[in-house]
Amino acid sequence: MDHPHSPPTPGPSAPPAADAADPGRRDFLGAALTLAGGAAVLLAGAEAAASTEAHVPPPGGDAYNWEEHRWAYVIDTSKCIGCGSCVRGCKAENDVPDGFVRTWVERYIAGPGGSYVDSPKGGLDGFPPVPTAFTPTKAFFVPKMCNHCKETPCVQVCPVGASYRTKDGVVMVDGKSCIGCGYCVQACPYGSRFLNPQTHTAEKCTWCYHRITKGLKPACVEVCPTGTRAFGDMLREDDPVRQTIDHERVSILQAHLLTEPQCFYLHLDMEVR
Amino acid sequence: MPEITGYAFPNDIHVHWSLMIVMYPYITGFVAGAFIVSALFHVFGREEFRPVARLAMATSLCFMAVATLPLNLHLGHPERSWLVMVTPNLSSAMAGFGMLYSTYLVILVLEVWFVWRQEIIQYARQSRGWKRAFYATLALGTYDTSPEAIAIDHRAATILAAIGLPGACMLHGYVGFIFGAIKANPWWSSPLMPVIFLLSAAVSGIALLSILYQVVAKLNRRAIEGRTVAALARWLWFFLILTMTLELLEIIMLAYEKSESWHIISQLLTTRLEFSFITMQMVVGGLIPLILLGVVVLMDRYLHDRVRNSLCVASAFLLLLQVFSMRWNIVIGGQLLSKSFRGLRSPYSPEIFDREGILVAIGLLIGPFLLLWIFNRILPIFGDDAHAPAHHGDSTKAPAAEVAAG
Amino acid sequence: MEHARHVFRVALVLLVVIAAVFLGRGFLVPRSYGTFGPYRADNVAEQMKARPPAHAGAASCTPCHKAKAEARAAGSHKSVSCEVCHAPLLRHVADGKVTGSMPIDKSFTLCARCHRRIQGRPEKFPQVVLEQHVTSKLEGAVCLECHDPHSPKL
Repeated sequence: MDHPHSPPTPGPSAPPAADAADPGRRDFLGAALTLAGGAAVLLAGAEAAASTEAHVPPPGGDAYNWEEHRWAYVIDTSKCIGCGSCVRGCKAENDVPDGFVRTWVERYIAGPGGSYVDSPKGGLDGFPPVPTAFTPTKAFFVPKMCNHCKETPCVQVCPVGASYRTKDGVVMVDGKSCIGCGYCVQACPYGSRFLNPQTHTAEKCTWCYHRITKGLKPACVEVCPTGTRAFGDMLREDDPVRQTIDHERVSILQAHLLTEPQCFYLHLDMEVR
Repeated sequence: MPEITGYAFPNDIHVHWSLMIVMYPYITGFVAGAFIVSALFHVFGREEFRPVARLAMATSLCFMAVATLPLNLHLGHPERSWLVMVTPNLSSAMAGFGMLYSTYLVILVLEVWFVWRQEIIQYARQSRGWKRAFYATLALGTYDTSPEAIAIDHRAATILAAIGLPGACMLHGYVGFIFGAIKANPWWSSPLMPVIFLLSAAVSGIALLSILYQVVAKLNRRAIEGRTVAALARWLWFFLILTMTLELLEIIMLAYEKSESWHIISQLLTTRLEFSFITMQMVVGGLIPLILLGVVVLMDRYLHDRVRNSLCVASAFLLLLQVFSMRWNIVIGGQLLSKSFRGLRSPYSPEIFDREGILVAIGLLIGPFLLLWIFNRILPIFGDDAHAPAHHGDSTKAPAAEVAAG
Repeated sequence: MEHARHVFRVALVLLVVIAAVFLGRGFLVPRSYGTFGPYRADNVAEQMKARPPAHAGAASCTPCHKAKAEARAAGSHKSVSCEVCHAPLLRHVADGKVTGSMPIDKSFTLCARCHRRIQGRPEKFPQVVLEQHVTSKLEGAVCLECHDPHSPKL
């Protein structure tokens, strides 16, 4: 017959009546429940906050809607004269620190006997005449900058999410979040990034975001005297940059890495990496 | 192949990842390697590692304590480094640092607590004043020294060591992934990178403990167990063979495939890295310890104790240099070659007094040993060997008697 | 389980620490983080306002410098923006008012940057070997002795 108050079978475990002597377990369970409850409240709050995402307006207010643009860049290397106006213009526009460049120009001199590449100060003061050990048969200039890739290796590796790609296709660095670890600098295959020695954060070409969101062109495009550089909107059907990319033979840098850069080149040569 | 005149991208001329970033994998290598030695006893029950198990665990913890310093010293904004924990970008291997470091630290601290719990309780009972308060807090207010509690301690230590082993491996392996996953840099980009880093870490940890065990034993006037030294040498030789095989394999593959990058990498190895790679990493740090340790392992029974111990220490020291060279060659070497693949940057030499300089690096290496000394003062490492948890939770010993004797 | 009391104690301490970390994290995450992706969304608007545009284009010089602008538009430098040889507008004008004189480098080095003959420039582009082109000494503003920079073709 079952007696509710009969003593339980003695065993190695502590009898339930001895709970008072086992505060450890009770404390633990109590604390766990409190924490679980707190966590549930937290998560609910986070859910509520996240659910308002659908109603968040694009940054820039009424003046600029990033959903309406997909920026792209075209460089026709057959027109470049290596004057370096773009490098100087960019430096003046963006306060680029000495010793670093956000855009630069490379000169390639090639012949059957060899090849020579230089970029003195990124082309800031133009290029000097230079003797080569071999007989050159072709020479040309290649302007470069951040390619604002679709599959960015740099955004992928930023540990704190300071590097990001906007909806209109521009890759930028949040200077307030960047911890200056330099991982993105290592990850960029094009050498576009650097650590600013004054702000100690990562920096690079932003396609002059402060200009293009006001309907202006990037400074480098603005000052280029030969029409080498062109900037346009892939969402506009009649945009000349889109026409070029859609209909001409264009190339990209280091295509084998599949970073999907948005800077397209005309008349590139196999010497260019 | 057309003759190449050196050209580096204009932004490529700076070596951003400095000596501190060489030190970081070096230190976490010790953390992982020391833990592997400790796990050889706690998880795999190798009795010959019992004398060195607690020392290994304490060493791992002391190196863990300084592991974040080289990173913070390198960052442009160390005051924001907590953002790695708060807003981690989950696609970044570097963001994994926050989770991996915290998790492994918790596991290690817990394991140390369980292994040393009896001593903590003993000191809590024996001391007075603030020391007593300190040990009482450490003991979390429980003074259970019964055989069942000790058996639970042993089991907990074993479980924690078993979880901690992959934790330690990941703490160091992810560093290899940080380099290996960078497709932009051909010297780094390789699936072998995390494996090489991890095996190299095992080498550095076992080498460090080979030296530390003998030094500490001498300082404490304890006997050096020949079995332990021989076992350390055996495992060291084993990991060294694996490490060197993989390191050489990587070079051989690159040279055989003769991809775009081999032209510049071979220049890198024969010019900028000639001393640190060929001389230090391969010959002085690789071939010579390989031979010396081979002698120790294969001719063990013919060797006098002193000879074996000395050969072990000598090889271990050379291996410490080898592992450092390997880290240097990868971190610095990878930045010396420009992404243009057409040139090498000028050689990097760290400043002496810089925030990321030589003196700081030396300090980072000395620091953990100071911490180890402090650790030993609080929780003696070579307390009583009977306290080192036996494998399989063997609770037939009477630890209570040993507590009184300790 | 009485002998496992210390295990529960330490597990409790651990849980408290973890909870504190997560709670703390909730306070530390920047407000706009995660709105559009794993980054601080406020930064997009900050970048838009990061600095006032420094360059304004050649058309912005015309209202005050009509004669020079017309000369340029009719000459062979019509595709060379004023700001290429001078400086961005912002160095000279801000908020519609002149803030300082517009810098100009009149020395031959400025002209040489584009017109010195070097490898790489397209053949059709006007370039000269300066040492042969200039009869006197190559120094100072020697180019301006013959060429008007705003309409340089002779």
